[in-house]
Amino acid sequence: MLKFAKNTGILGVSHDRQRYDLPLDKDGGSLFLKILIILMTFLAVLALSGSYVLSAMKERWSSGLENKASIEISAQDAEGNILTPEEINNATDNIFHFVKSHPAVETVTIMQDEDIAALISPWIGDNIAFDQIPMPNILTVSFKKNVEFDTTIFEGRLKIIAPQARLDTHESWLKDVLRFTNALKFAAILITTIIGLITIISIAGAVKTRMEVYHEELELLHLMGAADNYIAKQLQRYIFFSSLQGAAIGTFTGVVMLLIIKLAIGQMDMGLLPDFSLTLTQILSFVLLPVFIAFLGALTARHTVLRVLRQMP
Amino acid sequence: MGVTDMIKFEHVGLRYGVGPEVLSNVNFTLEPGSFHFLSGPSGAGKTSLMSLLYLGQRPTRGLMTMFDQDIGSMSREELKEIRQRIGVVFQDFRLLNHMSAFDNIALPLRINGTPEKEIKDNVIELMEWVGLGDHQHMLPNTMSGGQQQRIAVARAVITRPRLLLADEPTGNLDDEIGLRLMNLFDQLNRMGTTVLIASHNQPLMEKFKQHKRLILDKGHVELLTPKKSVKDKIRGAF
Repeated sequence: MLKFAKNTGILGVSHDRQRYDLPLDKDGGSLFLKILIILMTFLAVLALSGSYVLSAMKERWSSGLENKASIEISAQDAEGNILTPEEINNATDNIFHFVKSHPAVETVTIMQDEDIAALISPWIGDNIAFDQIPMPNILTVSFKKNVEFDTTIFEGRLKIIAPQARLDTHESWLKDVLRFTNALKFAAILITTIIGLITIISIAGAVKTRMEVYHEELELLHLMGAADNYIAKQLQRYIFFSSLQGAAIGTFTGVVMLLIIKLAIGQMDMGLLPDFSLTLTQILSFVLLPVFIAFLGALTARHTVLRVLRQMP
Repeated sequence: MGVTDMIKFEHVGLRYGVGPEVLSNVNFTLEPGSFHFLSGPSGAGKTSLMSLLYLGQRPTRGLMTMFDQDIGSMSREELKEIRQRIGVVFQDFRLLNHMSAFDNIALPLRINGTPEKEIKDNVIELMEWVGLGDHQHMLPNTMSGGQQQRIAVARAVITRPRLLLADEPTGNLDDEIGLRLMNLFDQLNRMGTTVLIASHNQPLMEKFKQHKRLILDKGHVELLTPKKSVKDKIRGAF
């Protein structure tokens, strides 16, 4: 694409040769601009990947718990009296049959004693006599998608069957977690946008500085009858290639940093976090990021140059 | 279609910002194909007048026409077209030091989209003509003042402009080269280019005394023809 741009001159490249009429690539300002773009792109990669991770977390939690609920058959009755294992099992069976026959329910399973034992073993040890100790029972329920029903009425029916039964749709805490995740994601997108704006402002500033530094040269081109477009193309080409170089280095550095983070996270046991891998679209967004920044830079440069040139007679 | 007046000033005034007028009530006309010298004492407004002529400024009052077109009412796009018909030799040369001598001279041709092959042939020929045929790849800031001046002149004439404005074009040149350049201007003039040269070089102007002179003093312009007592008038102005 770059070769095409150079050969066709669409970016302001003179035919058959690379040439700037202004000494744009001969001063230290070019390096400063590139470093700035490297830094901004690096931060943008981190912020973008942050938003991707948060999206994945949200998706995992939502799809993992959506349309799911658990029903706890407590070992105590409504007055606080301890029930016998037999009473608990009877109540569990009644609830199970009710839930299974409900039109909105897809599946229902009773959590096995071994699973409950595994859950509570850290507190009361491995040797649990389930037939002697009154233990609560837990039912895991999956509801059918796209079937509307009122969970309050559903829970009321459960309490009629077994007053100590308690429905947990995970809604209350899931809502908070999702709200928090959304806020973080919004912050990540906002940071990316701010980085983009800072990049645009910096490029516009750099172009304006260049135009002030090379005012005499610009005026000369202007007096020779150079069209605004001719002059603008020179600066937009310069900014395009500077931004492309800077953004490519920034993206590369950012991706390397992500790989290091992935490596570090891989060595930790963090069950809550999703697998730190990118989808094809997300990888493509990183590949296209330098090109996007380069075009954004070129457009900014063009707009700035044309605005300044319009002030000349 | 030919133009009636190449340059026409009627009551033209110029001021910078809210300052006093540096040029006031300037009136003169240059016919197409004419050759004029512009003289005047320091501070007379010569630089400002030249700036108006090469369209670096627009007049703040009065009527200024070039190629029979009112400069004051022209759009920026139209001014660009006019500028491409004007060749300018600046007093300080205004060469681009990051470019070779060849590229400096080629610049006006590249701006107006001339093919590279044609640019190469024309630039090489002109560089040889001004005696810099073997300096094509040299950067201007490595060359002498006289060589830089010749590049500036070559750059101004490379497009065969219809109007040539030169500000002290022979200032840094020895007599022989100066004379050659004046002959080049004369030759361009005979081919139809209107020439206006700002100069203090009395002996040179005497050698080309057949040409008219504009005397600029205190913001006003007086046109002298060769028939008048030119020498005395100019001496009086200094």
